[in-house]
Amino acid sequence: MKHLITLIGAVLIVAASFFLARTTTVKSLTNSNSIFDTFEDVDGTWLFSDKIGAAAASDVERARVALGGPLGLSAKEAVYFVATKDDEGAPLRSQCTYRVTGPAIDTRWWSLTLYDSVTQHYVPNDENRSSWNSVSVPRADEGTWVVNVAPTPQTETWLPSQEAPDQNFELMLRVYNPSDATRARLPNIELPSVERVSC
Amino acid sequence: MLNRILFYGIGAIALAAITFFFTRGMVVQKAPVKVMSTIEARIAAGAGGWNACLHNQVYGPRTNAARRANPDSIISSMAYDLSDGPVRIAGETWPRYWSLSFYQQNSDNFFVVNDLELDSSSFDYVLTLDGQDTSGLGGTPIVSPTEKGIVLVRRFAADASDMPGIIANQEAMTCGLA
Repeated sequence: MKHLITLIGAVLIVAASFFLARTTTVKSLTNSNSIFDTFEDVDGTWLFSDKIGAAAASDVERARVALGGPLGLSAKEAVYFVATKDDEGAPLRSQCTYRVTGPAIDTRWWSLTLYDSVTQHYVPNDENRSSWNSVSVPRADEGTWVVNVAPTPQTETWLPSQEAPDQNFELMLRVYNPSDATRARLPNIELPSVERVSC
Repeated sequence: MLNRILFYGIGAIALAAITFFFTRGMVVQKAPVKVMSTIEARIAAGAGGWNACLHNQVYGPRTNAARRANPDSIISSMAYDLSDGPVRIAGETWPRYWSLSFYQQNSDNFFVVNDLELDSSSFDYVLTLDGQDTSGLGGTPIVSPTEKGIVLVRRFAADASDMPGIIANQEAMTCGLA
């Protein structure tokens, strides 16, 4: 009888520990920003990782990327920068308007995409737009460009954030086939500023 | 009595800790494989089977896309299974930007090539397992570390006007047993 009670106790402990570990691990791997926890902070606004799709990634890095943004390209082909905050360090919020001003990036092509941080998907909008890229964005003579992120239509280069207030979002800058000069300076290349205009 | 309580208490804590950390390690290690299996099943269902091409032919955001997908990159995909022999993927590149990337079952991108790295505008790759016979198959053999995995072909679309050309390019692509 005594052994039976000990055995039942052991089984209960194993079962409880198993479910606790599974639940907390899945939660920690899938929470909205966990994919970026091991990204390097470049300048206070932009985060960077060269471990996406890489054999050199740790088990945790690999799991987070698989769950939060699967099938990315390795750094040999493309590099990824993510902003979850503006230049003042405040989280990007759906009710605010931001001006993203970028330099000419020495690369084959780039794209800037907006994702809802909770769903980790595009934000539905009437324009069916979630990105601008190096060809579609209007550029000044020196190659600089401006994208206006806001919940309501803007007169130029509007990148819609969701209409629901108090939602976090993120901006992902993908840089494909960076030049040798750009690659040599990674991740410390000149990156877009993310300026909050109003809230 | 105190010794027995201490013995069982320490034993219970040790058992809980061992189970917790073992389970955590297993979840972390298995998560990418589970994600890959889910995506492979979706691709195979959409393409009509394994080792078949599935083409996205819509420009812009799509509600059924993967998390944090890139709307400017128009993707053709194939879930591959090398258990019946090598698999071929061939076609024409796309001048704005084209890349072919292979992902093994743990989600690592173990091979990628782009159009600027090729000698011509056509491509012909044969995915194989180490030790499989590829003699007489032609193409460029690439050894997959795992029996199953995913192939992606990305083409850069600057805007919707690129889509007719991309769709024609997709339809000239072949996927299947070599």
